[in-house]
Parts: sequence; C-alpha cells; structure tokens
Amino acid sequence: MPDGKIKSDAQNKGEETVDAFRSDLGPFVVAAEKTRMPMVFVNEEPGHPVIFANDAFLALTGYARHDVLAKSFQSLLADCVDADTMRIVEAAFRGDCDKELDIHYKRKNGGEFWASMFVSPVYDKGGAVMQQFVSLVDLTRHRQENARCRMLIDELNHRVKNTLSTVQSIVTQALRRPAEPAAIREAIESRLLALSRSHDLLTSRNWEGAGLHDLVDTALHPFKVVAGFTERFTITGDNLHLSPTITLSIAIALHELATNAVKYGAFSNDTGKIDIDWKLAPEAAGKRLVLRWRERDGPPVTPPAHKGFGSWVIERGLAHELGGRVTLDYLSHGVACTIDIPAPAEMDK
Amino acid sequence: MSALLSGRRILVVEDEMLVLMNIEMELDDLGCSSIRAAASVAEALALLANYGFDAAMIDVNLGGEKSYPVADALIGRGIPFAFSTGYGDHGDRTDLDHLPMLRKPYLRADLIAMFKRLFADGALQTAAA
Repeated sequence: MPDGKIKSDAQNKGEETVDAFRSDLGPFVVAAEKTRMPMVFVNEEPGHPVIFANDAFLALTGYARHDVLAKSFQSLLADCVDADTMRIVEAAFRGDCDKELDIHYKRKNGGEFWASMFVSPVYDKGGAVMQQFVSLVDLTRHRQENARCRMLIDELNHRVKNTLSTVQSIVTQALRRPAEPAAIREAIESRLLALSRSHDLLTSRNWEGAGLHDLVDTALHPFKVVAGFTERFTITGDNLHLSPTITLSIAIALHELATNAVKYGAFSNDTGKIDIDWKLAPEAAGKRLVLRWRERDGPPVTPPAHKGFGSWVIERGLAHELGGRVTLDYLSHGVACTIDIPAPAEMDK
Repeated sequence: MSALLSGRRILVVEDEMLVLMNIEMELDDLGCSSIRAAASVAEALALLANYGFDAAMIDVNLGGEKSYPVADALIGRGIPFAFSTGYGDHGDRTDLDHLPMLRKPYLRADLIAMFKRLFADGALQTAAA
C-alpha cells in the first residue's frame, strides 16, 4: 500500500504521466487544476492511490495536496463516509454501479458536505483500465435549499389547515344564533376580509411581524377610509414591532371593537370619537405593551344582552393567545378596552 | 347526547384563539361546564399541576413548540386525551401513533366521536385498574 514515503512504480509512473500531461497539454492541465469541479485521478491498483487532485477537491475535502497524493483514495474516503456508501463506491470502481452516487462526507476537521460522485475509468490503447477519474458536484447548497423548501411547504400546510379551522370557527359562530341571511353573510365576510388584510400586511413584511401603527391603520382601514371615520379617530403610539401571532390577534380584536362601535357605539351617531393609544410599560417581570381603546361622545352605552364573537375574542381569546390581561368595559359614556400583554423581547430597542 | 360531557373537566391546549373558541362552544353544547385552556406547554403543565381533569385535547404544534411534554404528563396521570393537528404526524414519537388524532379542520361529529372514544377507553382503563 502506498504510504506517502515509498511510492510504488505505478504511482511514480502515474505522477510522471500527469507531469507529462502538464508539459504537453499545458492549458488543459491548468483548467483541470483550477476548475471549480473537484477532480481526482487515481491509479488502477489496489486501494487506488491518488496521482492528481485539483484545488477544488482539496478545498472541498479540507486536505492539503501532500495529504492525498499517493494515498489510497478508498482509505481517505472510508474515514469520512459510512460503510454503505463505501460499498457503492467500491462497486463504482469495479464499473458496476447503476445508482446515483450521492455521498455524505464528514471532514476530519468537523465540517461536512453532500456531493454527487462520478467515477469513470481511463483506458490504455489496449483497452485495459489504467486510471480512474473521479469528479464531484457539491450538493450542500442544493440539499440546504431542498430542506428549506420542505420546511416551507410543511409550514404552509400547517398555516392553511389552521386558517381553514379559523374560517370554520367564524362561520360556525355566525350561525349560532338566529339571524337574517344578509346579516350572517355580512358577519362572515367582514371577518374574513379582516383576516385577509392582516395576512397582506404580514406577507408584505415576509411574515416577520408588523409595526403596531401599520397594523392599526390596516385593521381600521375599512372604518377610516371606506366608511369615512378617519377624522373621528385619534391614534397615538410608536410603530412598535409585533410578532405575527400578536399582529393577527390584535387585528381581529380591533376589527371587532370597530364593528361594535359602528353598530352600537361611538360611530353610531354623528359626533362620537375613538381614541387609541399604546405605550410600553416597564414592570419588574419585564416590559408590557398596554393598548387602550376609548370611545367618547357617542350615545349612552348599555351592556349587550348576550356576549358574542367580538366579546369572546377580546375578553377571552386575546388574553389566552397573548398571555395577558384584557378588560372590556361598557361604560355609560363609552366603551373602554385595555389590552395589557407581555411585550416580546424584540420590542426592547 | 347533549350530556356527553356534563360533569367532565376538560383541558384544551390550543394556541389559535379562534380555533379554541370553536372548541369551547362545541364542548359547551355537549354539556361541559368546566373547560380550562392553555396556549403553551408551560401553561398546560401549570394547569395539570393545579387542577384535576377527566380528559384533554391538545394541539401538536403550539406556535412552533411541540406539545409532547403535555402528552407525557397526561399519560403519567392516566388522563385520556386526543391530539389535534393542522398537518403532519408525530415524527419520531411513534409511541404516540395509537392515540386519537383529529385533523384540522374537523367535523363536529368527529369531535363528539373522539370524546365518546376517550371516555369509553377511560372506563375500560378504570375497570381494569
């Protein structure tokens, strides 16, 4: 076996052949040395000692040239891939491998990569195998992208199923009490559109969250711009960054509050106003986000006879999903809602 | 049938508030007057430490966090439960594959059948013990 010090005759001959190529075929050898495709020539003798390894091969495997020249290619590989892969590699050197030869290579220094290996014999004039040519295609990035795609598809499936469950909930709730078909339809549609607008807002931010000011603007858009109540809102607060979960929950709550205001509250007469403000409140256990909704100058408020979707979402849903305290008071001079939730760490600027 | 859950204490572990709302209303319709809900593993474990339950249903994925510690705690206490999931299976927790699983979105009838099965199995367990 070649050990790097005493080279076999075949090894010397092989390396001489490469040197001869270097003088005869200068540009081609330079190309082979410099190409980004990792390449190795090995001699056709036991263990397949390496007679040529290009720069890309050394960069990929982490070896120095003197670590590989005259060393058995199989031994080098056996240290870094599993036994099953080695059996397929051996078969490829014998010329009977009909499989895609993908190897998972663990470098001795700790790194690893995936590569597709191609083994091809080099024949002499008489048709005997003199050398074998091994080339590799680095699949690491390809594999990472595949894994990312699978993760995104799983995440998408998860979200689609959850969204369908949410829609099921909205529809079921709308049908729980006797109502006119037109009212049921309106209740379902306005909630679906509210969900859709928050999805648009999150999509425009790569689902990394949204600013609280942007969220309030988006959630109240149908009431401000479409219904013409822009002048009757006073909105005060910084554009604090919120997670997607908080964004979706608060958007639904704001939609329910505004819908209620149009039907029974401050926007059911010509003079009512709504003040919305929020701030970060420092507390011993960490910062909290406190958002207040205050209605004034509307008709006198009477508490609802039964609690529906909106009350449930605000009083129970928000507190549950965001782990906070939410109060909804039907004060006679106007509805007041306070959402007090633990502020995510990313709000700490 | 409306009395299926009367007198039963149910733990619901679900992070999506609108999905929870639907479950709570359905359980209410089935006569259940004691429902406690958790949105995270920590909250669910805290409820289990402080209250008794007759059955539970738990979402596999709680905002990216797997609910298996809750499943293990329920198994440890002998409380019958079912999973609900938006997508996927238990991955390497093949020991949980035999437990009932509701795939979202699910029919009301499936929810009722699931609780019937939980209490039927639970009765058997009690009889055997």
